[in-house]
Amino acid sequence: MSATAHPLSQAELLDQENKRYHAFINLALFLSVFTGVEIVVIFLPFPPAVLFTTLITVSVIKFFCVILWFMHLIYDAPLLIILFVAGLVLAAGTMVALLNLMARSDVDPGILHDSSLVIRATPADQIMNGFTVV
Amino acid sequence: MSDAAVLAHADDSHGSAEAHVEHATATGIDTKKLVMWLFLASDCMFFGTLISTHLVYRKVYPYGSNEKGVIDIIKTFDIQLTSFSTFILLMSSFLMALAVSAMHKGQIKSFRRACIGVMIFGLIFLTGQVYEFTHFFDGHAVYTFSVRTAAGESISSTYEGPADQTRAKADLARRLFRDHPDWLAVPTTANAADKALAPAAQLARHPDWIVPAMKQVKVEKPSLSMQNSVFGSTFFLMTGTHGCHVAIGVLWLASMYLYSFTGRMQKNMHGAAIDIEICGLYWHFVDIVWIVIFTAVYLVEYIPGYNPVQ
Repeated sequence: MSATAHPLSQAELLDQENKRYHAFINLALFLSVFTGVEIVVIFLPFPPAVLFTTLITVSVIKFFCVILWFMHLIYDAPLLIILFVAGLVLAAGTMVALLNLMARSDVDPGILHDSSLVIRATPADQIMNGFTVV
Repeated sequence: MSDAAVLAHADDSHGSAEAHVEHATATGIDTKKLVMWLFLASDCMFFGTLISTHLVYRKVYPYGSNEKGVIDIIKTFDIQLTSFSTFILLMSSFLMALAVSAMHKGQIKSFRRACIGVMIFGLIFLTGQVYEFTHFFDGHAVYTFSVRTAAGESISSTYEGPADQTRAKADLARRLFRDHPDWLAVPTTANAADKALAPAAQLARHPDWIVPAMKQVKVEKPSLSMQNSVFGSTFFLMTGTHGCHVAIGVLWLASMYLYSFTGRMQKNMHGAAIDIEICGLYWHFVDIVWIVIFTAVYLVEYIPGYNPVQ
């Protein structure tokens, strides 16, 4: 739509939009099923690492499905993908960096009322840090 | 005007084709769309920091607070309601895609139908969020009171409702007053203005005059607020900011819906389609942010080991 060098005829435009219409319906069904999977899987007796991996994978797939098809990124100019991914990488990078930098040991023990609290490494710690927080 | 391309688009409401001039850009991308994507990239970083803050504090404070028992995240959450809200938002994205597609085809009536659907779904999501916030804030409690009334009688009573002792006491006072209006005892030290009030008004202002002392026995689910815990602060800030984005999206869509009746869209269908597409980009962005929040904030709490209280 954005390229003005080769404007589409009305018939081509309609054909293109009709194809997208079916893609949108399929995607809506796909997203519904994936959301259902996410909700069911958290109540199944799988190891935490498997649950974490499944949830993150499904979430990432849903995320990219929406930006690629619903937001037309797959049909648009590559520059838009670069722009958005740049923001995304910075946001994700900030998240990963902060999660790795900050630990419970950074909290002033004086404000922790429960001194007997034993901190267990969460599955996220195990996946992201590969070590146990004590 | 030498570098301009001329595009023609049909208008379904008038049945005529109208030509207009679209300026070519150096990137080949419509400037409005490019700026919108830049904004979304920056908003990505904005939400990235909010979600990071929540996750970092979630990691640092395993109980969501600096002491155990202040909040109970699993009991506070209502995953069925949140799942429903997530589904609604995903379906609103689908309708938004249909609305944009309809505008590209020049079908204004189809656009209006889809647009109404998106707004309704957005409002359902917001209603769910308001309901959720209210219940999180109120908490839930079953109080069993051992009460010594102002008349000197001892009674036992159970109250179930929001985890708010002041509210529970006021409710109990109303119940006692309804059955025993003579139990209301106005202290001799009360000021003249309070003494002049009707008994019901006196009770509303001073539940202590009929329930001087009571003992709270059990709180099922403590309340979650921005003040009582780190989890509450980061949770309400993040989901509240997202809710504001949804509200802005609904207002934007409402303005586009009303604009479609002015007849200006029909004069420049291509420009209108770009405007709707930009509005759609914003709406889809709100949806993808919720996809991340739903997983990183709600669902992970149910994974064994993530929440030490579980």
